[in-house]
Amino acid sequence: MRNHPSPSRFPLWFDPRSRHPGTWAFILNRITALGLTLYLFLHLYMLSKLSQGPEAYDTFIALAKTPVIMVGELLVIAAGLIHGFNGIRIALTSFGIGTRRQTELFWLMMVLAGLGTLFFGYVMFFKD
Amino acid sequence: MSSERWHITLAVARYKQGADPHIQIFELEVDPDEYVLDAVERVWAFHDRGLVFRHACHHSTCGACGMRVNGQEKLTCITPIRAVCQKDGTLKIEPLRNFPVVSDLSVDMTSLYTRTESAAGAQVLNLKHSSLPFEKNLFPDDGLEHERLSDCIECGMCVSACPAALTDAAYAGPAALAAAHQTVVQKGLSALPAWVDSAEGVWRCHSGFECSAVCPSNVDPAWRIMELRRLVILNRVRCLFGLNKD
Amino acid sequence: MPDKPSAIVVGAGFTGCALAYDLSQRGFAVTVLERGEIASGTSGRTHGLLHSGGRYCVNDRESAVECIQENLILRRIASQCIEYNGGFFVALNDEDLAYAPRFVEGAQACGIPVEQLSIAQALRLEPNLNSQVKAVYTVPDGAFDPLRLALAFAASARWLGAGFRPYHQVEQLLIDGHGNCAGVQVWDRSADKRCDLRADLVLNATGAWAGSILKGTRAEVVVTPTPGVMVAYDKRLINRAINRLIEPGDGDILIPQRRMVVIGTTSYETEDVDYIPVEADQVAQMYRDACALVPAVAQTRMRGAYMSARPLVGKGQAGRSLARTFKCFDHQESDGIAGLITITGGKATTCRAMAEAAADLACKKMGIQAACATAETPLRSYRDYYRAPGGAQ
Repeated sequence: MRNHPSPSRFPLWFDPRSRHPGTWAFILNRITALGLTLYLFLHLYMLSKLSQGPEAYDTFIALAKTPVIMVGELLVIAAGLIHGFNGIRIALTSFGIGTRRQTELFWLMMVLAGLGTLFFGYVMFFKD
Repeated sequence: MSSERWHITLAVARYKQGADPHIQIFELEVDPDEYVLDAVERVWAFHDRGLVFRHACHHSTCGACGMRVNGQEKLTCITPIRAVCQKDGTLKIEPLRNFPVVSDLSVDMTSLYTRTESAAGAQVLNLKHSSLPFEKNLFPDDGLEHERLSDCIECGMCVSACPAALTDAAYAGPAALAAAHQTVVQKGLSALPAWVDSAEGVWRCHSGFECSAVCPSNVDPAWRIMELRRLVILNRVRCLFGLNKD
Repeated sequence: MPDKPSAIVVGAGFTGCALAYDLSQRGFAVTVLERGEIASGTSGRTHGLLHSGGRYCVNDRESAVECIQENLILRRIASQCIEYNGGFFVALNDEDLAYAPRFVEGAQACGIPVEQLSIAQALRLEPNLNSQVKAVYTVPDGAFDPLRLALAFAASARWLGAGFRPYHQVEQLLIDGHGNCAGVQVWDRSADKRCDLRADLVLNATGAWAGSILKGTRAEVVVTPTPGVMVAYDKRLINRAINRLIEPGDGDILIPQRRMVVIGTTSYETEDVDYIPVEADQVAQMYRDACALVPAVAQTRMRGAYMSARPLVGKGQAGRSLARTFKCFDHQESDGIAGLITITGGKATTCRAMAEAAADLACKKMGIQAACATAETPLRSYRDYYRAPGGAQ
């Protein structure tokens, strides 16, 4: 049947057009979750390099200090912060705490995630 | 209503049983203070008598005219054209999501009505229990008992906007859950329908909050769903300790 | 066991749905054809006032008596969609005051319970009422949800076996070789297909369109579509319906519904009722009339404005002089066409009585002995229209 609910329609979750902040949070939570899961596999792969001896490890660490990878790591941190703070928002609202202020809570959490990202960005790129 | 006249374009989703869906373009002259439903009705009256759409009361009490206007759920009888369009602009009109399309802009509302009925959702309520508990001083209070039709007009816009309802046909949906909450407010926790505390009931919601954002009628389904969760947990805890009072 | 007599009801407004229910109860196999969906025509856009009859008790006593009787019946059978809070009739000036004695006398003659309140009492009960009001009478008014009232009748009809086909437009009546009505030619708009449907009896319940459905046949019914504007504002400022204590005129009823108040209406004749644009000056007039009754309307926002075309039987000056009662036409008697009945006119409040009259006539024509039983049993939940055995339309 046309228009019928179905798991195969999940790509429409990610369409933010004509949607409100609650849905943006929903989309961000899913994208960051996918991103963090991908990162988890990469991280495990990296760790596996340790088992291949010091040279393989050192080569990998050299790669890890390149700007592209460092930006990638900052994105991972941002994703973790966004996902974590939004998760706190969801945990609270899911049991009726702050539900009426969920939009304001979303903006607060994004500001916190933004501040956290800026802090870690500073530490990674500008601190010695 | 004004004497201003705008030229606008309507891109209307068309579908006849047995044929392919497509978008059809109509050019209209409208009064911008008229409502989107009036524009749709003009298309039917002056351009294509085959256009199928639902409508009844034209003043936001029946819930029949919910449609997606430029992708967003709107109750078209109270949505002025001016609010969603500009002069010489285009309006995309599509049926609600997550319900089977009967034809053109009309969807089959069976699942919604079946579910609100299983929530024992009364339409006529005691005025005092008829709104959200945190809304104060909405109506004149003369100290007597009065009745009021429930805020929920069963328009289905919340279900259309809900991401969980998009992918899960078995999900009870925000409208039914809001009705279940209203039932509990009216009759107490013992009247909580059994399906509320289940995987396809109150726990399927994933906090999109889009339902409350699009509701045209002050129901706030998202708040009611979270409040139901609180009540459900309270109920479970009570059962656990044998304090099975209402 | 003989087959049930078949009936096609054209129109799924209040009359059509109530008629489908009554006929199904009396043993007909009913099919309802509606070009829109339930209550898409005049019925959906009714003001929503469950009349006590007070409005008609001076100049149109027949309508007033019908109203109060049906008011009590609907309260019994359709309480699921009626806000029953009563109503006031209020006098705003000396002219209104002069009308009061005739109003009271008319109400008593028609069996409508009215009671005078002191101004202080009235303002305590309705603090937003115009404090300059000169006299106030209570009446047993209510406010109903138009779609759900029609759905409740339709649900009850479906569960008795009636078939509903929305988006099916009757294009013309089928007249057989003897000049009698054999059925209808129908356009299924949802599939863009046409077909013929035959039945023993066709009942034209299309209200304001009753005359146009009969075009192309010898049958004629003079129905004057008489539109009026209604405006909804976004605050529920009153608990009861407020009526102006005057001869029926424009903008003299303000009713509460959900979180709104709705003011109505005007009255003028028109030929084409398929699309009636809302006139800005009428909306402005309604705003003034609403503020005269409840000044706080000035602090609200307009939520919606719409036109509704009443079916008035006959022709008159802008509709006010025409009776608001209903009329049942047996086209065999009036035009020599067997198998065709038209029921039109009337008001939402009297829909069940209209259906009873038409069903009585239908039974008489088909030689069926079955009394009307629709006044006693509460209607099914309106949602059962969608849960009917056999699934949705």
